[in-house]
Amino acid sequence: MKLKFLSFLALLITITGFAQEKTVTGVITDAGGVPLPGAQVKVIDKEIFNVTDFDGNFTLDGVVPGDVFRVTFLGFQPKEVTVGSEGEYSVVLQEDASELEEVVVVGYGTQRKQDLTGAISQVSSEEITRQPSSTATQALQGKVAGVNITTSSAPGSEPNVSIRGLGTALGGRNPLYIVDGVPVNDIQNISPSNIESMDFLKDASSAAIYGVRAANGVIIVTTKQGKSGVPSLNIRSFYGVKPVLNQVEMANSSQYIQYFNEENAPLNGNTLNLQQDYDTNWYDEITQIGSVNNTVFDISGGSENVNYFFSYDYYEEEGVLQDQKFRRSTITSNNTFKLFDDRLKIIQNLNLAVTKNNNKPFGAFNTAYRQSPLVPVFYPNGRYGASRYNQTTGEATYVAGEGETIDNLTQHGNPVLALDFANNQSNSVNIQGSVTAELSLTDELTFTSRFGARKIFSRGRSFNATRDVWFAQDPTRTLERFDQLKAENPENLAYANNSLTFNSSETYKYNWDNFINYNNSFGNHNLDVTLGGSREQIGIGFEDNYRTYEVPEQEQYWSVKHASGDYDNFVEQYHYTPTNFMSYFGRVQYNFNRKYYFTGTLRRDGSSTFQNNADYWGTFPALGVGWTLTEEEFLADSESINFLKLRGSWGELGNANIPYNTSQILTDPTSSSQNYVLGPDQNLVFGSFIGSPAQNLSWEVVSEYSLGLDYELLDYKLTGSVDVYHRTTENTILQVQPLLNSTFSTDFYDHGAEVVNKGIEVAVNWNDRIGEDFSYSVGGNFSYNDNEVTQVRTNYEGQIGGSLNNGRITKRLEEGQPLGSWWMFESNGVWQTQAEINNNASLAGAIPGHLRYEDQNNDGVIDDRDKTYQGSYIPLFNYGINITMDYKQFDFSLDGFGVGGNKVYNALLNARIGGENIPEDMFLNRWTGPGTTNTHPGANRDIEASSYYLEDGDFFRINNITLGYTLPEISDFVKNVRVYVSAQNPLLFTKYRGFNPELSGYDPTNPDAQGPYGLSGVELNAYPLTSTYLMGVNIQL
Amino acid sequence: MKIKYYYRLAILGIISIVAIGCSEDFLDVDSRENITAEDRDENFTPEDFVTGVYGMFTEWPYAFSYLALTEIVSDNADKGANAGSTGTDKHFFDELNYTSTAPSLEAMWEHWYKTIGRANYAIAFAQQEGGPNTERLIAEAKFLRAYTYFFLVRSFGDVTIQGEVEFIDGEEVVDPEVDLSERNSQEEVYAYIEQDLMDAISVLPVKSEYAANNLGRATRGAARAMLAKVQLYQENWTAALENANAVINSGEYGLEPNYEDIWREYSENGVESIFEIQARGEAIAHGVQQYSQTQAPRSDGIINGWGFNVPSENLVEAFDEEGDEIRKNATIIFRGETLWDGLEVSTAAANPMYNEKAYSSSNLAASDGDKNIRVLRYAEILLIKAEAEAQLGNLQAGMDALNEVRDRVDLEPVSGLGQQELIEKIWNERRLELAFEHDRWFDLIRTGQAPEAMAEAGKEFEERHWLFPIPNNQLIQTPGMEQNPGW
Repeated sequence: MKLKFLSFLALLITITGFAQEKTVTGVITDAGGVPLPGAQVKVIDKEIFNVTDFDGNFTLDGVVPGDVFRVTFLGFQPKEVTVGSEGEYSVVLQEDASELEEVVVVGYGTQRKQDLTGAISQVSSEEITRQPSSTATQALQGKVAGVNITTSSAPGSEPNVSIRGLGTALGGRNPLYIVDGVPVNDIQNISPSNIESMDFLKDASSAAIYGVRAANGVIIVTTKQGKSGVPSLNIRSFYGVKPVLNQVEMANSSQYIQYFNEENAPLNGNTLNLQQDYDTNWYDEITQIGSVNNTVFDISGGSENVNYFFSYDYYEEEGVLQDQKFRRSTITSNNTFKLFDDRLKIIQNLNLAVTKNNNKPFGAFNTAYRQSPLVPVFYPNGRYGASRYNQTTGEATYVAGEGETIDNLTQHGNPVLALDFANNQSNSVNIQGSVTAELSLTDELTFTSRFGARKIFSRGRSFNATRDVWFAQDPTRTLERFDQLKAENPENLAYANNSLTFNSSETYKYNWDNFINYNNSFGNHNLDVTLGGSREQIGIGFEDNYRTYEVPEQEQYWSVKHASGDYDNFVEQYHYTPTNFMSYFGRVQYNFNRKYYFTGTLRRDGSSTFQNNADYWGTFPALGVGWTLTEEEFLADSESINFLKLRGSWGELGNANIPYNTSQILTDPTSSSQNYVLGPDQNLVFGSFIGSPAQNLSWEVVSEYSLGLDYELLDYKLTGSVDVYHRTTENTILQVQPLLNSTFSTDFYDHGAEVVNKGIEVAVNWNDRIGEDFSYSVGGNFSYNDNEVTQVRTNYEGQIGGSLNNGRITKRLEEGQPLGSWWMFESNGVWQTQAEINNNASLAGAIPGHLRYEDQNNDGVIDDRDKTYQGSYIPLFNYGINITMDYKQFDFSLDGFGVGGNKVYNALLNARIGGENIPEDMFLNRWTGPGTTNTHPGANRDIEASSYYLEDGDFFRINNITLGYTLPEISDFVKNVRVYVSAQNPLLFTKYRGFNPELSGYDPTNPDAQGPYGLSGVELNAYPLTSTYLMGVNIQL
Repeated sequence: MKIKYYYRLAILGIISIVAIGCSEDFLDVDSRENITAEDRDENFTPEDFVTGVYGMFTEWPYAFSYLALTEIVSDNADKGANAGSTGTDKHFFDELNYTSTAPSLEAMWEHWYKTIGRANYAIAFAQQEGGPNTERLIAEAKFLRAYTYFFLVRSFGDVTIQGEVEFIDGEEVVDPEVDLSERNSQEEVYAYIEQDLMDAISVLPVKSEYAANNLGRATRGAARAMLAKVQLYQENWTAALENANAVINSGEYGLEPNYEDIWREYSENGVESIFEIQARGEAIAHGVQQYSQTQAPRSDGIINGWGFNVPSENLVEAFDEEGDEIRKNATIIFRGETLWDGLEVSTAAANPMYNEKAYSSSNLAASDGDKNIRVLRYAEILLIKAEAEAQLGNLQAGMDALNEVRDRVDLEPVSGLGQQELIEKIWNERRLELAFEHDRWFDLIRTGQAPEAMAEAGKEFEERHWLFPIPNNQLIQTPGMEQNPGW
């Protein structure tokens, strides 16, 4: 109806118009006279439209004098020109001087950066792609103040991201990601090259619009859209090599022998001969130079009614372990359709990511560190080297003569063997997308409806050649013996020739959001209101696990169907319990003359997770105020202060990602402690008991106060911001480990602690141009965060973690300490003589050469009560520097990142059983007798965790050095060609004695390891740091 | 007209937003991954949880660690087994040089507290659910809780009284006021125990009132007998006597005519039995896990038990001194002996003597024995009566009660003893009558005989041995808790 009316009107105007129509032409340039290709020119209120060609030229047909055409181009201020009598127009566009004109995404809307009352940092696509990575957050280390990112060099790894400190010990530590309006937990399926911008909602008032899921920050990811104009085809490709950086120099065979003999002297006196056959460098044997390559094609463009963006991206990374590979293909298609005179916009985003992972056990790094250099990879007879020596002859061999005995050098296996036989793949298909309809009801009122969804199919397969591994593990074994054992133990799965395991799962989630934006100005009063609701269902899906035995050796027959059938297959299948969310939200943004700002946000969330609770609805309010000082008269005319704004905010957020918690009432049909016998015949009576109680868990609540200052000084050359915050997680959920004298016998979850994060963030950037040809920028940011567990419920203290897999732990929870703080003995020297040991408090079994520990409570005994808290693995501060320079066709960038104030645990050095290899400097510095050293232990030492192995985690790393050259114009056909070389992580400055002080705890087989009570900050099975040296080319057609 | 049109659209839009939230049913998601309690077809009753408390007494700590704390440490028993088999720390108890890190101590400490935890939960659950026999079940749980606190207070002195459980909004909540790092005084703990026992006495039926299928549950007689013993430990002679008399006069109990029959299967829950831990040795055997196995003759080729907790020479001498052949032979298996069931214990067995009261004829050294463990029996009540009477100066009445016990095992009646003589006679009688019934160490401590008895057994009893040390790991978990003196 409406449509017809409009077209009728248009027709009427056309017919009845009697002004003289004409054609005008023109050229659009920037202030320097450089033509701007792709600029949009549109006659206001008419369907006349053009895009400038390569030389900035445009043509408009059918205009009449008095018409106004509007010229827009990204990064420039739009300009309107009235058609007069002339036929040719030169339009000069002014660049947007202030980055505050930039638009940031605030959740269900956008806002000019200048108008923010909260702390939001935006990162552009250029910054994300400057460092090649599989996940965008990896590339953003040190780029955003207040955001601490810990990465691992393992292919396909997921970085730890914490915004304004850590307040959550268990689930939901990572921020929430909103990708084109779809809330997700990670962005590993998104190619960094497809990202247009990332907005970090850091303070509670910005994040409050996402309520119960925003406690640990929100990152909004916007993928690229086509821009109106001629189609553009981009090809970007790079290839790089990845060697290990900062490899630890291990002791060689003669050093090892001496160390081994010294270690054994006080034990059994077994010694090794000084001459041995092998000197294996295990790191050389297991590592290779990795590689990475990435190729992206994208096509984008747009007309008046349709904008399109399509890309194909292939990313492949080969790790430093042989055959360890991560591959990902991503297809992205983002289209915008504009209908009904731009009244209705349909925006469609689709992302398809296919990944394939060849996994190798990270434990190989650990074993390579420990395995003796006297063990060969292979013996001359082709058998795998084993950690054996002949006790009688002192030779490192598995061969024993008459009456001779063989013993182990170490308790560790052959890491090459472990890698050779590891056969583990995981694949996934990830489909994610959204459709958004934006309907402009009036100029002021827009209604938006969005449906977003994500489906993930994943499948893992692992093959264990049981028989071959058994045979390979010990050179004295024979296959006949295996077959004999198999015959003797027909039911025993340990003697099946091989086993094959499949895990597959499907998960689905969707969200449907509807909201209204009202935006209007009444004189100096500007009002922007958003009101909406959302429903979301996550975690829909199922999991299948199968294991079968004895499939044929050839890979093509690896399926359950081809199993021998001699052993029972294992099948497990179940559906996940989905979680549903229902939410209402509203936000009012008001400003008076862009001088005084007020923002109020309210979100009400219901989550099915809490359906058993009395209150499964939560309300999350936030307030923000702002004052632009430069709008006041006393600063309005300042030459040096271009922009100055004060911000303050308060808000409450939630974390609904709580652990599954249910009362476990245990029963047992066999003879167990809950059953009893009664009656004259002593009949078994089945009873029950409660294992772990389900405490009423609710969301974790975070409340935050934040103050900020944005500044632009000295003709917009010096820009930046300063923020301070105080953030309290009021009811952190703990995994409560029961005390010996408590009621329940197993771990359970309950709210038990309050965690406070206090911090400062500073960002500063200097931008200038010298002459015509040289421009540069120097930026830096610094974040300081102090984390403290300020309150723990009675009887709930003492959660332990950081297990070294040798019965020793390194972390413990206590009030007044940071979350995940270190807890261990304080070493205060080395025992020099037995007399010293006898006359002082010492650990049972101490001998000269062992570390001595401080008797903190002076009770004359060294035990757990002498362990003290010794800081945290979480950096107290981190900082980044970024330098860019452009000279004529050359561009150069340099990024650095550093952290400090934390401690990391060198568990490789510590966690020993006996006979392990050591780094060369550990050998050279060791205690060898009274008076030699009072710092480093001798070859024979205990296995306790102590401050000796706790080292400063401070480091500074050059993340990126890139030099690029943009070729002079080649032809009309090729718009732009840039070639570049780049070094990623070429330099690391640290005092740490291990491989890498940056220890996220990432382990693909153990997702819990990344938590504060996992292996974060502990170097045990950690992937070493790699550098990347790469060259690449970007072509724009 | 145009405006109106948009308004209508806007209203439509707003309605659609609100429509999202129309049904809160959306938030009621059915569990798929785990079957919820209500769908599990398992209706838990208060009885189930009380059974779960009883079950704790059949657990492994009672088969091994318990031996160390009650017998091996005393003059009755030696560690046994062979020199290399220490049972982790049993040799330390035998030599009286255990420390706070001894695993046996920690095992019992934890097990006792978890038993109390189960009792607390069972009581709260029964109070919440109601149903048949609720009061009786609560009383049974209180009896078991009192019995367990009695172990704790005898072993460690001042101990934490665990917070009781309460159901709030259907969820179990442990009393948040209780700080588990604080220890309650012995007086408080004893008062708590007595209150539990008194509650139990007022509710529990007497032994004969129970239906047959409830045989083995705590009875009023058991609660009274336990109370008498608890009062004996507090030297509250009048009350102890009163309760012992109440048990004796209840007509529910008497002496098994033949002493050695007390440990036969047919006399389980018999006339002398006041309370015992129930055990069955058949398929899905459910006895005290490995209780018989840990104490059965070691490497004799037939039984192949572990051979721990063996009678000491000192005990044999005590029997011989008294001329007590009946109880000696009923208590001790001698290597090479042919047992009552015809089984010959090989002369090749590792130790000269074994604990016969733990011996299970039908199960030999099977892991779950069928041996009911006698906790309280009539003879002990007579001895409690005897001691209380003697302490109160009623010497004849004391001697009468004592003689009743002696008469069964053909010992001469005592007569004309002075008060102190009589008391010491009763103490010795307790030793012989109750040997290997897990009473000796506590009795030595209670009566103050420990330093002398240990010296005679060739062990050095120090001041700190009056109490066991609080397990080290407990102190690590709750650094605010104080250790016992001297540890």
